[in-house]
Amino acid sequence: MNNIQFIRPTSIQAACEALKNPGFMPVSGGSDLVVKIRNGLYPNLEGLVDIGDLSPLNLIRTDENRVIIGSGCTMSQIINDRLMQDYFPTLVKAASTVGAMQIRNSATIGGNVANASPAGDTIPALYSLEARVMITDGNNARKVPIEEFFLSPGKTKLEAGEIIEGFSLLFRKTRGEFLKLGERRAHAISKINMAVSTWNDGRDHWRIAMGSVAPTVLRCPEAEEYLEKCATIDDAAIDKAAELACNTAKPISDLRSTSAYRKKMAGVLLKRSLQALTK
Amino acid sequence: MGKNLIKISFCLNSKKVEIEVSPQLTVLEMLRRDFRLTAAKEGCGKGECGACSVLLNGQPINSCLKLAATLKPGDSLISVEGLNDDKLMQNIQEAYVEEGAVQCGFCIPGMTMASYYLLKHNSTPDEHAIKQALSGNICRCTGYRKIEAAVKKAAERTKANE
Repeated sequence: MNNIQFIRPTSIQAACEALKNPGFMPVSGGSDLVVKIRNGLYPNLEGLVDIGDLSPLNLIRTDENRVIIGSGCTMSQIINDRLMQDYFPTLVKAASTVGAMQIRNSATIGGNVANASPAGDTIPALYSLEARVMITDGNNARKVPIEEFFLSPGKTKLEAGEIIEGFSLLFRKTRGEFLKLGERRAHAISKINMAVSTWNDGRDHWRIAMGSVAPTVLRCPEAEEYLEKCATIDDAAIDKAAELACNTAKPISDLRSTSAYRKKMAGVLLKRSLQALTK
Repeated sequence: MGKNLIKISFCLNSKKVEIEVSPQLTVLEMLRRDFRLTAAKEGCGKGECGACSVLLNGQPINSCLKLAATLKPGDSLISVEGLNDDKLMQNIQEAYVEEGAVQCGFCIPGMTMASYYLLKHNSTPDEHAIKQALSGNICRCTGYRKIEAAVKKAAERTKANE
């Protein structure tokens, strides 16, 4: 471990080249990686590649009709960004619930996604905004819908030598809510979290995604379709949608919560979100 | 044993410094061992307790989770020691003492750092703002009431002296 290498590439291409070496991992904020290294989770670690200072990974920018959030953007950067606040409040709210302020100042959205934790807070928000993951190997770029990016807890479609460049969202005004239940209000890992985004392009669209209720984040297509068919979303409609969300959730029991509680809370969180968004 | 040392340079408490670090050395370890700046403490070592809080480019971070090798030449790192002559930090420290907010003292450098960041950006925080600003810092002896009272007092004193 003492002899691991540390590479400071000056380009994305050089970073990807270095990451092709077996046992090499990217590091940016380090808030998750450093703990895992210390806990011995990476016995075969040979080197770290510092991608924390590579432009444009740390920028939020627009590209024609899309907004691109660089993977190296910190949670605080997203929370304080005016465009994010105005167009993608779901993601801003999700980023605000990650860790505590000290963590949010270091933790990046790319790290939150690449770690592929079922409880990662920005992931349901990105699902609800139909984000595309922009992947590059330094020479070739590909885009993967976020729903297809995760294979299982901790496993993604990233191959050796690839990094996430950013997340691409359609540039449209959305409204949204993000709620999570943890052991305490601040600084807790989610027992369950839920993102609800909605927008109108002539008709209302609803996107609902929840975390910690399955090996990867789940969309709730039944509740979404139901809401999109409702002429008005009243209390009865909210209850019905909440019931549908409970049925979609497939949680397990673990150290943070039980399956039954999580299932029930899926409905409660959707109800609270919809109440806030239809006020 | 050929250790891979990385040469880094950055600004520490307003002074340019240069040092060689091993890849897995954290900023906290570097501050304490190499620079003998021991205000920041390692409580949990995983970003939950905030005892290691320092300011990186004006923002509080957990120095136990930041690799020293990732520091860049343009980075400015401020530890509690770097604020010794800062009037706001002095007001905070005095208020902590006066309110009896300090018992064992282990969490206090981190607490005062989080308080400092709060009062820098919000000179009249309400109870909720104080709680939120300190939610990444854990104290295991006095509880939080006296700490909140100290932050409030420091805010009032700073305002009065303006």
